Amino acid sequence: MNPTGNPRTPHYIRGKRGVVTVLHGSIVNPIDHRGVYPPLCSVLFRVRDVFGGSSEDTLSIDLHEDWLMPAGPSDEPTLD
Amino acid sequence: MAQAHSKQAAHSHMHDFEGHVEAVEADLEYWRAKRLEPRLIQLHRRGVLTFYDLVRTATAHPAAPTTAVAHDTEARIRALEDGLDDYIRGINLISLDGPGFPSVIEDTRKERGDYDDFFRIAKSSHDGSLQERIARLEHQLREYRHLLDVLTRALLDKGVLTAEMIEQQRAFLAGRGAWHGARIVARAWVDPAFKQALLTKGREAVRELNIPSGRLGKLGVAENTPALHNIVVCTLCSCYPHDLLGDPPWWYRDDSYKARIVRDARGMLAERFNLRLPDHVEVRVHDSTSDVRWMVLPCRPAGTDGWSEEQLARLVTIESLVGTAPAGDPAAHRAGAERREACPPPNPRTAFGSATPCRSSA
Repeated sequence: MNPTGNPRTPHYIRGKRGVVTVLHGSIVNPIDHRGVYPPLCSVLFRVRDVFGGSSEDTLSIDLHEDWLMPAGPSDEPTLD
Repeated sequence: MAQAHSKQAAHSHMHDFEGHVEAVEADLEYWRAKRLEPRLIQLHRRGVLTFYDLVRTATAHPAAPTTAVAHDTEARIRALEDGLDDYIRGINLISLDGPGFPSVIEDTRKERGDYDDFFRIAKSSHDGSLQERIARLEHQLREYRHLLDVLTRALLDKGVLTAEMIEQQRAFLAGRGAWHGARIVARAWVDPAFKQALLTKGREAVRELNIPSGRLGKLGVAENTPALHNIVVCTLCSCYPHDLLGDPPWWYRDDSYKARIVRDARGMLAERFNLRLPDHVEVRVHDSTSDVRWMVLPCRPAGTDGWSEEQLARLVTIESLVGTAPAGDPAAHRAGAERREACPPPNPRTAFGSATPCRSSA
């Protein structure tokens, strides 16, 4: 993916599967950037799905909508 | 982004040069065009300090000679960020109200309705290659800091400010932010309606505490529970609600913190912060953007029934707002054995409650 919007998506999370937990909408933040970026979501990932290992802990990462794509069906139980 | 980070340990790689440079450009322009120069013009208009005073001072105190510039792009960007922090801190130090010359910035004029776009200070363009942009920023930062230095000296020379006033302001700024965070947490502990508003509306909710709500994106509040422990990081830069909570701890910008906390938060909490969490507690790391800036709402410590809001606020440390520590131990506090208040009120007599004036905030 090569969206033209905000590049603030951490490298380690690209291509990983997570669950959208919060929809923040488009945030007006003129001090930090000109214009309005696409809507922002908090997405919850399992640390083990991102970095391997067996941890039950989680990462909540704020990602713009244009960086997300549908994950499709999964064998894994869903995070909630 | 006012935070000393010269103490950084080993740096890992900076991922996004363009993003860092863009952030410096935006901040540098904001602080020059919205904070420093309007102040300068205002002091001149009021006759407190004339441009000729500045010229005299500048003649006596020329700009420091240009130091050798690192060739490494990353090192140059980091030097810019450090210099910018210094510059912002310096502007805040002299942003003191005086009789007849309140510290007015464009934003407050806009709110008051006497702002006119016609008088807007022009901003410079940011085009060019990355190297050109870095070189331009180095040049601008050098000039702006010289101007700030001259302004500060001239204010001192004319007796508009005294060294003591600046020192007081320094102490005030250091304590201000974290104490705001402590008051927010204490109110959320005692007032469920406030907590609900804080969790849903974020920074809008803090107005009832007479804390300036700031304007840096949205405030995210991550609530700790007996089953969930939250931690905040910004792996891409160092986003933090610093307009509301002041500077984060210095290591918040440290790459060794950023790199490990997302991979192994539990291990890092135990080894670096001496916080061992039971297995049944989920550890959740929030990696921020500039648009949603997160703070942690720590759990209210047991044994604090009947405590006043101010007593509770004194248990809240800056580390507990980031999530690397729980709120303080009430027993230690009651005993008074350890007078370690990480978020002391700037002035205990006036800062708590509703008497604090809303100073135009960083």
